[in-house]
Amino acid sequence: MTSGRSHHSGILSRRRFLQALGLAGIGSGICAPALFSIEPSLPSKTAFEEITSNISGIHWTHVSGRSPMAHLPETVGAGCAFLDYDNDGWMDIYLVNSGPCDFYEPPSPLHNALYRNNRDGSFTDVTQRAGVLGNAYGMGVAVGDYDGDGFPDLYITQYPNSILYHNNGDGTFTDVTAKAGVAAPGWATSAVWFDYDNDGRLDLFVCRFVDYSKAKVKFCGDLITGERHYCIPSIYDPMPCWLFHNNGDGTFTDVSRESGIGQSRAKAWGAVAADLDNDGRMDLYVTNDTVANFLFANRGKGRFEEIGVMSGVGVSGFGKPRSGMGVDAADYDQDGWIDLFEANVDQEMYSLYHNEKDEGFTDAANPNGIGVATRLMSGWGLKFLDYDNDGDIDLLLCNGHPDDTVEKRIEGVKFREPMLLFRNTGKGFENASLQSGSIFSKPLAARGLALGDFDNDGAVDLLVSQNNGPPVLLRNLAGRENHWLGIRLVGTKANIDAIGAKVTYQSGGLQRHQFKVGGGSYLSSHDPRMVLGLGQRTKVDWLEVEWPQPSGRKERFTDLPIGRYITIVEGQGKWK
Amino acid sequence: MDSVAERFSKWILIFGAALLLGSAGIAQVTSKTAASATSSGAEGGINLALKGRCSEALPILKKAVAQVTDKKLKYDVLMSIVHCAMGLEQTETAVRTLLELSRNFPQDPEVLYLSTHYYSDLALRASHELAAIAPLSPQAQQLEAEAFESQGDWDKAITQYRMILERNPQRHGIHYRLGRLFLTKTPADSENAKKELAEELKTDPGSAASEFLLGEIARQSGQWEDAIVHFEKAAKLDEGFTEAYLALGMSRNSAGKFTDAVAPLESYVKMQPDDPAGHYQLATAYARTGRRQDAQRQMALQQETAAKAPRTLAQP
Repeated sequence: MTSGRSHHSGILSRRRFLQALGLAGIGSGICAPALFSIEPSLPSKTAFEEITSNISGIHWTHVSGRSPMAHLPETVGAGCAFLDYDNDGWMDIYLVNSGPCDFYEPPSPLHNALYRNNRDGSFTDVTQRAGVLGNAYGMGVAVGDYDGDGFPDLYITQYPNSILYHNNGDGTFTDVTAKAGVAAPGWATSAVWFDYDNDGRLDLFVCRFVDYSKAKVKFCGDLITGERHYCIPSIYDPMPCWLFHNNGDGTFTDVSRESGIGQSRAKAWGAVAADLDNDGRMDLYVTNDTVANFLFANRGKGRFEEIGVMSGVGVSGFGKPRSGMGVDAADYDQDGWIDLFEANVDQEMYSLYHNEKDEGFTDAANPNGIGVATRLMSGWGLKFLDYDNDGDIDLLLCNGHPDDTVEKRIEGVKFREPMLLFRNTGKGFENASLQSGSIFSKPLAARGLALGDFDNDGAVDLLVSQNNGPPVLLRNLAGRENHWLGIRLVGTKANIDAIGAKVTYQSGGLQRHQFKVGGGSYLSSHDPRMVLGLGQRTKVDWLEVEWPQPSGRKERFTDLPIGRYITIVEGQGKWK
Repeated sequence: MDSVAERFSKWILIFGAALLLGSAGIAQVTSKTAASATSSGAEGGINLALKGRCSEALPILKKAVAQVTDKKLKYDVLMSIVHCAMGLEQTETAVRTLLELSRNFPQDPEVLYLSTHYYSDLALRASHELAAIAPLSPQAQQLEAEAFESQGDWDKAITQYRMILERNPQRHGIHYRLGRLFLTKTPADSENAKKELAEELKTDPGSAASEFLLGEIARQSGQWEDAIVHFEKAAKLDEGFTEAYLALGMSRNSAGKFTDAVAPLESYVKMQPDDPAGHYQLATAYARTGRRQDAQRQMALQQETAAKAPRTLAQP
């Protein structure tokens, strides 16, 4: 027997120690330096500034309806969106609220909110006129022009039934849920518009969480005092997600079963649609809580194969499901293959899944400093974005623990947590949070995150929804330091929102590409325009759009402007 | 050095204090059975024990226990023996009987409860003896440091461990404990942990545990090559160190060295067939080296074992 053995026999059982720390969970140890130290090489500059409600005019607040019963939906919502509902070229804002249901009767009426952009940094509440109040316990929002009339429509996920609001094009919406057949009974969370069968129309994927109702509530808490805390969802039964095929006549067909989607029982929070294997078909990555994540590989002919665990994105490196919540997809390292990101709860770390080009992924969170920085964090809204317009895709994470009593129970874990910003250096990510402004040290109960350039300056701004609190609107100052070109893609043969498009551009020595994915983040929806960062370069040499199937057309453009948004309509061969 | 026992006793005091409650509970349980007992020797012994006449009861019970075949009666007899032996401070009898109870009734909450309290009481007594006999010994100081550690009083534990090293710089295990402690703190201090673990390896080059933790620090930072070196050393130093094989396989997988990952992971799943981690990592290694069927078999085992595994603290 070696002396090594004699030692570890005295370490109160190595296995117990490892379990207690999460296989020598020393991440907690490395977390603090990674999170709180300021690298001398990084200049400190405010990247995002908070726009107060006095300036924005957004006085709406999310109300969770926190009750002694600790109903799970109370702590997980809600989402938010940037959308241009009136097609005036300025991003408006939509916010989702709670509402009446079997376990909650609001003491005063609650409603969602639609704020029209006044084009001066302020917004006006137009909810009542627009008729998009919601009618149950709201969760998320997905924006997509499902009928191709040029006006974005709204799908609002709720418990116990969701809503499809058709945009009438005159500033009002109509609830067409019943006619469309997309009520998705149950507890719906994130939703994604994408064209899974390449017929040029946007279909709808809806995440479903557990089998939940007032009658099925279980007790989690202190047995002596009777005080409840929010349950870990492992004790509730999983339910299958929904996939609705767009029939092109304002109706949808539930194809959950025949597509294979419904065969996997989910506890789904987040979803993103992207062509992960470059086969021209949109796949789906779905994060689950206490159930393995799903990677629905689109095999064509309307069929999906679930390959999450085998592909390396289903469970932790220890072979166990985590609490997958926020999600996104982007080709952060520009190798031509879309990578994935997943946020989890504290002690689990988040994962940056690098696409190995063979339907396999490798978790690159640790080498990029993301694992240790997120050791004590719980992540919801998140998004890849080039916040500083240098051409490299960065990463923004919104955090907050789901249990508001966690601080009594777990040392070092907070209910309200700051956002994190990881800057892509071209060689990997570095934690730029504390160099990027006071918002990155402000504790938030963040849930949704939407990206959108509300002031049209080419620097993509942020909207963060909070649980039981006001939303946080953040103006991007960093992106203004570099040059940019914004594009709005309009599909004709391809789906009108161009979900699945690839845009490649050359600016001097810089060649970059971006994929337009469907969904991503958590319960939220984003500015449909793409912003191409140029750094200090002052010219775009060329730009190529590869339209999604069934088009597949490639169009190349030159003589492009910079510092403004242009619109490219598929097949017209020009921009305007 | 009374403080050794005092401080050490803090974390087990609650067990000792609850011992009386536990005994009362046992008596209550026993009495229910005894009430229905007839005049057999075993039942007579139980009745004597219940009346507190343990000196008389114990020989009767010890003699009777071998002859009792009824499982419930045997349980009551053994419980009565433990109860009396504890009261009469017949430690050997109490321990032996507790072990027999554990063997025969391994799932019984009362047995587990009583064992916890009694072994804690023994530990408390031993710590008092250590404090009385050798208060300045490194063992006494280490016990005190561990007591601080168990209470989460990291700074006092560190001070105590440092005192041991001042007097006995070559003592094995102290730098390791300091390193581990730095990692356990919230927020933890990986730089100081690395220094302590390196020091441990200077005094004890055979410390597989120190190599393992150095490997983990590297792994968590994504320094795969460094992690691999440390895990290889840990597994070499201690061939029975199962987690070292898993961590080595994981790190090799992360580094893209899938072929090299297979061997340690195959060893690991043989040693720990119930751990989904091993099956998952081995499935990954197989899949990435073209062994599709082997991968699917391991993936099935991963799902099977993950479903059975209790939900513990989350793992990254």
